Parts: sequence; C-alpha cells; structure tokens
Amino acid sequence: MKKTKLGEFEELVLLTVAALQSEAYGVEIKRELEERLKEKLSVGSIQSALKRMEEKGYLTSQFGEPTQKRGGKRKRIYSTTSHGRKVLEEMKNIRAGLWSAIPKLAYEVKLA
Amino acid sequence: MENESIQPPKWPLKFLRIFIREQYLEEIEGDMEEIFFDNVERYSLRKARRLYVWEMIKLLRPNLIRQFRFLNTFNRFGMLSNYFKVSIRGLMKYPLNSFINLFGLASAIGICIYAYAFFRWTYDRDQFHENKNSVYLVTTFAPREGAMQEYGRTPRPLAESLQQDFPQIEKVCRVEDRNIVVKYHDQVFNERIRLVDPTFLQMFTFPLKWGAASSLNDVNSIIISEAMSEKYFGEQNPVGETLLIKFDRDRSKEFKVAGVAQKFPVARSTEFNFLANFDNLRTSEVDYNFHDWAAQLDATFIQVEDPEDVRAVLHGMTKYKQVQNESVSEDFAIDSFGLEQLATLHIKTEHIRDDIFRGGTKDNIASIGFLIAISILMLALACSNYINIAIVSVTKRLKELGVRKSIGATRKVIIVQFLTENIVTTFFALLIGILLGRFVVIPWFEGLWYFSMDFKFGDANLWIFLSVVLLVTAIASGIYPALYISRFQPVNILRGSLRFGQKNPVTKVFLGFQLILACVFITSAVIFTRNSDYLASRDWGYDNRDVIYAQLPDELSVEQLKHVMEENAHVISTASSAQHIGRQQRQVSIAIPSRVLEVDLLAVDRNYFNTMGVDIVQGRGFNDHETSDRQGVVVNQTMVESLNWDNPVGQQFKMDSVRYEVIGVMKDFHSYSFSSPLRPTFFTLADESDYRFLSMKVEKGSMRDSYESLRKKWSTLFPESPFSGGYQEDVWGNYYVELRIHGHVWRVFASIAVMLALLGVYGLVSLNVSGREKEFSIRKVLGANIKHISNSIFKQYYLLFAIALALGVPLSYVVIVGIMDFAYTYHMEVAIWHVVLAAILLILVLLCTISTQVFKVFKSNAVDGLKTE
Repeated sequence: MKKTKLGEFEELVLLTVAALQSEAYGVEIKRELEERLKEKLSVGSIQSALKRMEEKGYLTSQFGEPTQKRGGKRKRIYSTTSHGRKVLEEMKNIRAGLWSAIPKLAYEVKLA
Repeated sequence: MENESIQPPKWPLKFLRIFIREQYLEEIEGDMEEIFFDNVERYSLRKARRLYVWEMIKLLRPNLIRQFRFLNTFNRFGMLSNYFKVSIRGLMKYPLNSFINLFGLASAIGICIYAYAFFRWTYDRDQFHENKNSVYLVTTFAPREGAMQEYGRTPRPLAESLQQDFPQIEKVCRVEDRNIVVKYHDQVFNERIRLVDPTFLQMFTFPLKWGAASSLNDVNSIIISEAMSEKYFGEQNPVGETLLIKFDRDRSKEFKVAGVAQKFPVARSTEFNFLANFDNLRTSEVDYNFHDWAAQLDATFIQVEDPEDVRAVLHGMTKYKQVQNESVSEDFAIDSFGLEQLATLHIKTEHIRDDIFRGGTKDNIASIGFLIAISILMLALACSNYINIAIVSVTKRLKELGVRKSIGATRKVIIVQFLTENIVTTFFALLIGILLGRFVVIPWFEGLWYFSMDFKFGDANLWIFLSVVLLVTAIASGIYPALYISRFQPVNILRGSLRFGQKNPVTKVFLGFQLILACVFITSAVIFTRNSDYLASRDWGYDNRDVIYAQLPDELSVEQLKHVMEENAHVISTASSAQHIGRQQRQVSIAIPSRVLEVDLLAVDRNYFNTMGVDIVQGRGFNDHETSDRQGVVVNQTMVESLNWDNPVGQQFKMDSVRYEVIGVMKDFHSYSFSSPLRPTFFTLADESDYRFLSMKVEKGSMRDSYESLRKKWSTLFPESPFSGGYQEDVWGNYYVELRIHGHVWRVFASIAVMLALLGVYGLVSLNVSGREKEFSIRKVLGANIKHISNSIFKQYYLLFAIALALGVPLSYVVIVGIMDFAYTYHMEVAIWHVVLAAILLILVLLCTISTQVFKVFKSNAVDGLKTE
C-alpha cells in the first residue's frame, strides 16, 4: 500500500482523468472538478497534481491539437496508465471493505 | 474590432516563462489563455485580467518551477542550517570581533534609520490634506532687483472675481492673519488669529476633535487648535465656552468656541491657533476695503475640480493683471499670476516671499543630503571593520575551510556560506540598529531640536528600506572576504604551509580609508565647535549688552512706559521707535534713477543711535526739532556699497514717490542672525504716532533688576495686556542654541566615526598580536624590552598612518571649508593648523589604542606564550 500513496485531491484528479477519457486536459479537468466539488480550484493546484502523478507513473500524456482559443498552443491530453487504474481500484476496494466493516448496529445506535 | 483588444496582460507571461519549467510551458500557457477567455465571457475584462494575474502567482509551486542551477548544487536546507549554526558559534566564540562588527554596523544602521525617518518626515509634509492636488495658492510675480520674485500675497478682490469668472474653480478661500489678544477669565495672552472663508476647512482637511467645521459660517464662532484648547481650558471640551478677543485697543468681540481641531499631524507647514470667519474684518477693521485692488491680503486659495484645469485658469487670469496694475503705483506693478499646488508648496515656499507657509523644507533637504552622506560613510566605516576582521581572522578558520573543500565544497559553496554568515551577522546588527535608531538616535535628535517626527514602525516603506540596507550591507561587507577566503587550495591549507590574512594589502587600504574618514569627521567636529565659539563672540555691529526693550500696542502706551522707566535710576537712556533691531523691520523698495532696490527700513527717534550703540561713521544722526530731518535718512554701509555711492552724504532716492536725502552713514549691524547676510538698511525719523517699541540702555550689571522693574511697571500700567519685551541679547538667543546644536551633532558623529575607526584598528592590532604570540615570547626570552616590542608592533603602521594623514588632512580641509561656506553665511576662517590639530588628536587616540596591546604583550608571561600550540 505504501508504494501507491495517493492524496485525496490527487485521487479526485485521477478519477476525473479516467472519466473524461479523450477530453482530459488541464482546463477541462478543472471545469469538471469545480462543478462536482462546487468550489473554485486554481490552475496551479491541478497542474501540480497532474505532474506529480505523471512522475509517479499513474498518468501518461501526449500533445493534442492546437486551438484558436488557446492562442495556437497545443493541449496536453492525459490518460491513466494501467498502474494508475490498478491503484484506483485498490483504493476503491479498501474503501468498500472498510464501509462493509462498519457494523450496521453502530449506525443505528448513532442515529437513534 | 473589439476582440482584438481583448488580450491577457503580457507581463505575467514573461514572468511565468522565467520560473516555470520549460517542458510545461506550452500546456500551461494554453490553459491560462483558455481560462482567461472563458472568464472574459463570464466577467468583466478587468476582472478576467485580475484573475489571470492571480492564477499566475498561484502557479509558483515547487514542482512546477524550474530547478535553478545554483540551488541545485548543494543540499539547501541541511547546509543552510549548518551555516547558521556555524555563524552563531562564530559570533559567540570571538566576542570581541562580534562586538566590533555588531556595534559598528548597528550604530551605522541606527543613523540610517534616523536619516530615513527624517526623509519621510520632510517629504510627507502636508500630504495628509485630502485635496492636496486640487488646492492651489494664488501668487503673483513681479520683477525685483533684476530677477522675477514670487509673492504669496494677492489683491483683495481677486478671490471673488475668480469665483465668478471660472466655472472650473470649485471653491475659493481668503486668508488674513492678525495679531490679537485673547482673554479668558483672568488669562490674557498675545495670539495670532486666522480669518478665513468657511471653505477653509473643506480645502485644508484638518479633522476636528470636537464641534463642527460648518460652524465657520457663523461670524460669532471660533475654532481653536488642540494646543490652545489645553492652554485655556485644560482637558475638558470647551465647545460652548466664550473667549474675548481684542483686535486692537478699542475693538473687541466675544466669540463662542464652536470647534477644536485634532492634534495637527507633525509633518505640516501651515496650521492655525484661532480660526474665525473672514467677515469679522468688517467689524474689526472698519476701513478694511474688500474691493480695493491696490490692497493685498495674506493669501488666496482656490480649489479646482480637476488639476488639469489649472493651466486654463492661469491663462484666464492674465486679464486681472491690467486691473491690478492700473490701481497701484508703477513700483508695485506685477508681471503675472501664479498657482502653486498645496502638495509641493512646502518645497516652493522658500522662494515665495510673504506667504503664510512656515517651515519650508529647503534646509531639511540640504540636511537630508548631509544625513545620507553621513549614513553611507558610517556604513562604509563599519563595513571596512567587518572586512578587515574577516580577512585577518581567516587563519582561525583555515582548517574548517580545508575540510569543507576536500569533502567536496566548491568555491561557490564557500562563497554562499560566507555570505550567509554575513547576512546572519548583519541581521543581528539590524535588530540592534533598529532599537538604537528608535530609542536612542531619533529621540536624541528630536530632543535637540524640540520637534517630533512621528516615527512609526507601521510604515511599509521602512521595511523595504531596511531590507535593502540589510542586503546591501551584507553583500558589501561580505563579498570581498568571501571571494578572498574561498580562493585557497585545500592541499596548501591542510599541509599547514600557508599563512595569510595578516599581510593582505587590502586590509591596509581599508584601514587607511577609515583613518581618512575619521580625520574628516574629527576635523568637522573641531571646526564646528570652534566656530560656534567664534560666532558667540562675533560683534553684532551694535551694542546689544545692557539693553532691554518692550513692544507696545500704540504710541500712548510707549509714552506712559517711557515716562515711568525714566524715573528708574539704572536707566541711562531711552529711545522710542516704530521698528526695532532684531525684532521688526519694514521691507520697502526705494528707487534711484537707474534702479529699484529692496531694503530694510527702521523708523526711530533721535536717541536710538545712542541707546542701541549704533555708530555713525560719516555725516550725522537725526537732530531734534528739525523738521527737515523728516526727509533725512541714515543708511548703513552695505546700502552704500550696493548702490556704489562714492560720496553717500547728500545722495537722494525716492520711496513711495517721496524724496529722501542721506544725512549720515552708520556702521553695519546685524538685524538678523548671522545665518542671514547683511541687508541694505536705513533709518528714518519715526512719526510719533508710529511708536511701538521702547528701548532702554541700563547701567552695567543692573540689567536683571531693570528688567524686573520693567515687568512690574508693565503689569501696573497695562493689567489687561500680556507682557511683551525682553533682553536685547536674547533676540537671537535661539540662534546660539542652534549653533551649539550643530557643534553637538558633529561631535557625536565624529565620536562615532572615530570610535568605529579605533575599533577597527584595535581589532586588527589585537588579531595581529595574538597571531604572533610565540614570536613575542621568543623575543622576550631573548631579552627584548618594551621599546623593542612596541617597535615591532608599530612598525607596520607607521607608513600607513603617514599616508592616511597626508591624504586626510588636505581632504578634510577642502571638505570642511565647503561645508562651512554652505552652512554659514558668516563663519570663522578655517586655518590649516585647525586641521592639523584635529589630525594630531586622532593620532594620539590611535597611539593610545595600540599601546594597550603593547602593554598586554609586555605584561604577559613568555612561558605561557611558548606553551600554547
């Protein structure tokens, strides 16, 4: 588990990349996450998360098409690596396991 | 069309390109631009730009920014913390060196802080007025003595015409200052009142502590300053109290206090003690003609809506020139009008005559120049000490350096290490310096001149200034030692065959530089001190000893007082006059056929020459009863010179189209302090109704008694009026105080400079001696006496001292003569022997300093010296 250390924010970004597929580039990721989290995010935080995860090998990227709106600069499209997807699955399983480990009774007592 | 102008700002991109890693640039730039255009659709262009810049700043994250090469070469945090540790240990290990460095830098920084505070205080003047950029003083220009002179007084009806004729002018304000007597219960004081239009407090935004600014509309209300409120009413709120104001002997009026101004900011060049409505002039001066273009008032201010309009207003004002010049005599014709912005008036006021602004900043600006020079020199002295000590004491750190270098430290790393250490030392010095500046230097200066600069640490610019000082000092003092020390080869160091530091010629250069500076400072101190003695004994040109005087409101009082004082046995002679030397003189312009000259006029009676000890050198004084003397004048030598009269007696000139004839010439005397040059001056016979001053020559030694009797007589004769008079010697008493302060300040600066130089010498000599302990021990074992030892210590300094003095003495002479000519109109002759005297003083102190080390070596036991290894 130690090797696949993934911060909460990184995990969210990674999931967004996986969800957006071929649309996954900086601005689109930011837009999507802002919508879901309902808060403002800075370009810096998204970019540094992306770069960090690329270094760790969860993501790969290649340049996409240049567009007019970007002043002729190309997008960088991110995609998850198989390692990244594995880590995401692992996280999901750990969470699911923990959720199922919470005794139902405890819930009811708390809620009552 | 419009889309073309919608672009993100350019500069953040340039900034970004410096810091962001190359390979991320294209992507991030594109993202930023896309977001910018999204934002433009959603918000305003301005907000989008703002967001763009803000996002740029937030991009500066460790894993996005470039790895700069010099940061990459060593392990930053570990090494830096090691440097801090080493520098603090170094400071603790050599307390003497640390003291010399810290103390020197701290005192220099303390002076820098004072210079900064003084600078702020000077340039902040009047900047608290909210309308400083839209309020203007109306001035006039007139040719005087070949040059164009600007005057602060303006024709009385001008304000009204301006208000009517120019829609750009929002408000106008007329100002007249008058002397009054204020009475509240049994307190009676002479005061100045400022009569203004109600717009005054809207243009000059002095906040009120109590009451309302609008009360100025009421002619029966008065607004007073906080100082006056405390003087008359103590701590309580005086609003609603009544003050009796006497405008002159017959006219007085009761005013209701309607407001109290908050304590004025210290950086101001105009203020008021009593403020009342301008219309009071209708009752206080019945013959005051508001519509007379020939008469002037003290000041006219305008406030424009937009400072851009000023040129148009000024242009439009030319039409008044004709109206004005038709109503006055040719001598008073003006050339043009001027408008001076409130924000910069404090600098200009020096060149404007008769304006209501006091405390121009020209002198201060000169002082700032001096202070900056002194601060820089002090910093240079302190840095020299630092450099010398660092170079000489490098031997003690050679092993450390050798080890650092052999385990892989490059030269660059060593330089960074030494600079870091330097910043640490300078930082401590800065802390001490801030405390010194705030709690010693500034209070000391403020105490000397009785002023307050309102120095605060909250000023953001102060911290920028201090950071710059910190960096500059750290680098200036550290860069040479760092380069020097890092140069050595580790092999040579560790083999132990190198001995350096002590013979470095640069040390000598710096020491010589310090000695030269010390020489300049010590000379200045000697000369300034001697000069204040010289000026204290300088002849005023008339006899100001054993003379007392009184200033009275009218002729009748003068006669009454004269009558009772003549009964006093101590009084030798009395004289009445309309003006009085040192207290008041009229500035008038006289015309001889070829030119117009501005001169001072004193109207006196015939006894005045005798009583005041003014000598007649040619012709005669005034005769009694002779009506012909009404047109006779006695002129001073300066006036004769400036008119180039070979034969002054009998010459004629015109004043206000009346012809006057010179009947005598008197010796020059100083009406003003020695800081002003002599002015052409003449005496006329005063009209008796103009008598305002009574001067009395008293017997030697009886001055105090006579003065007491004068005061007593005054209070029985005029119980309603405050006493006004004094010793003639005291009319420029403040001037001597000022002179003493100059001497004092220079002595302190010189002491600090000499002390810094001495500390440097002491540090160097003691390091030199401690490095040669073994040598001295061997010499002593072999029978060296104190003469031999002192010789071998002094030997290396003889030449240096000789060169330093050979350069320092002439330099000091040139510098001090320059300063004297600049600072004083009249000063003593600076002789070269004064400078030599100062230099000898310096040498003596130096020798004493070095001798302490000689004695230390002499007293030490040779065995101890040989045992150490």
